Amino acid sequence: MARVTLQTLPDYARYIIDAAESAAAAFPVTRRSRLPRLDITTHLSPGTLADALGHAFVEPRDDEADAAGCRIFVAHPGIATIPVPARWGDAHYTEHGFATRLAETGLRGHFYHDLDFWQFYDPERRVGVQLMTAADAFPPWEPAAPLRPFLHWEYAARGMRLTHAGTLGLDGKGILLAGSGGAGKSGTVAAGLLSGLDSVGDDYVLVDLLRGVSARPLFSTLKQDAQGFARLGLEQRLANHGPLNWQGKYTFHIADIAPRQVPARLDIVALMVPHISGGKTSSVVPASRRDAMLALAPSGIMQMPGERESGFRLFGELTRLLPCYRLSLGNNPEEIAGTISNFLARGIS
Amino acid sequence: MRHSNVYRVASKDIVFESFDGEAVVLDLSTGKYFGFSDTGSGVWQALSSGVGVQAIAEASAIAAADLEGFISRLLEFGLLAPADAPGQPLPGEIVSALAAAREPLSVDVHDDLADLIVVDPIHEVEEPLGWPAVKQAN
Repeated sequence: MARVTLQTLPDYARYIIDAAESAAAAFPVTRRSRLPRLDITTHLSPGTLADALGHAFVEPRDDEADAAGCRIFVAHPGIATIPVPARWGDAHYTEHGFATRLAETGLRGHFYHDLDFWQFYDPERRVGVQLMTAADAFPPWEPAAPLRPFLHWEYAARGMRLTHAGTLGLDGKGILLAGSGGAGKSGTVAAGLLSGLDSVGDDYVLVDLLRGVSARPLFSTLKQDAQGFARLGLEQRLANHGPLNWQGKYTFHIADIAPRQVPARLDIVALMVPHISGGKTSSVVPASRRDAMLALAPSGIMQMPGERESGFRLFGELTRLLPCYRLSLGNNPEEIAGTISNFLARGIS
Repeated sequence: MRHSNVYRVASKDIVFESFDGEAVVLDLSTGKYFGFSDTGSGVWQALSSGVGVQAIAEASAIAAADLEGFISRLLEFGLLAPADAPGQPLPGEIVSALAAAREPLSVDVHDDLADLIVVDPIHEVEEPLGWPAVKQAN
């Protein structure tokens, strides 16, 4: 079994990218996906990931004049001469060391030990490879947000950012909901959608700071644990829902509960840090930017491979651009949605 | 005080931003965040700018023991390192910020999402060669 060290990592990445490009004609399936300012061509095998590419993204509605194209190979042995994935052979593996070593040579990458699952991206040539031991040997979170690291690297190279935040909006204006898992982001987003608000996502959205702060949709999937699913009345509304996912959550799509088509973007007017208060009513009170930054940045940076400093700087700038609030969540979904709707309506008027 | 009088940011992996005078520091190598009180933010900004400890003590009402304890924590966290350099003058805006500060001198660690794997525990690797050599062997 081949082993990769920190020293040989860039060579291995180039070798894998070259191998995938050489085998391009042998990949059985090609999927084309449109995302904001990005057209992705994915070469892969039939199966769960190919299916996911068909429904995991929200296709942008507005024409993006400066859309760039990138190619991703989802590769595994059995496709032409694709090699068996190597294993990590360096005792001192750290996420940051791994990413830094690749970045020194202009590359991006990530390694998931348990599956010998490699992802490499060359942002200059806009070509990437996801190398797996077999067609179905991917982590359980891949189908809900396929190609996420590649999108992260490509957008980061352009000064944009996949941001771990929920969103709600009204008439094109919106809020970002920041916080780690369990803070109440997804439940708040679902409650808002069910009450007529818009959203561009409840987990990862694309943020840029070009003209103020804006958020665009990428992934169409929403998630709810069984308790939230029942509290929101989704058991009845989505009667044909699938089984719980690997996190013990139900997954569904924005379009399943959205009052209208997903907006192409929301102009973000506030950064909110939700927390479940346990009280009857919800409230919105000012919060310090320091606390908002500490809610926004950690999960957005640590759940994404590489680009840590650029993320820290971008989230810092974002936080300084927005008023920040603490959102205490009551226990009634309609009341929560009403509180946010009133907040947005006041801001818009 | 047993530490040198002047300090510097420990490495290029220590990055920080300031929000309305309150500092947030990230250690890129570990993913640990550090949030400072308003007084702590002022002292951090002074120390990270190369201002000597004595100048900070003279320009603020911070007790010497508190300042020493605070600096010890920053050293322990790997945010600061002793600097072999003369102290810089304390900027006027930091003097003003310290005078206006109301919170005790403190720094909080936020490491919920820090890297869990500093050293990969999965592979007890004795393989010294690495990928190209192994590739040839294959």
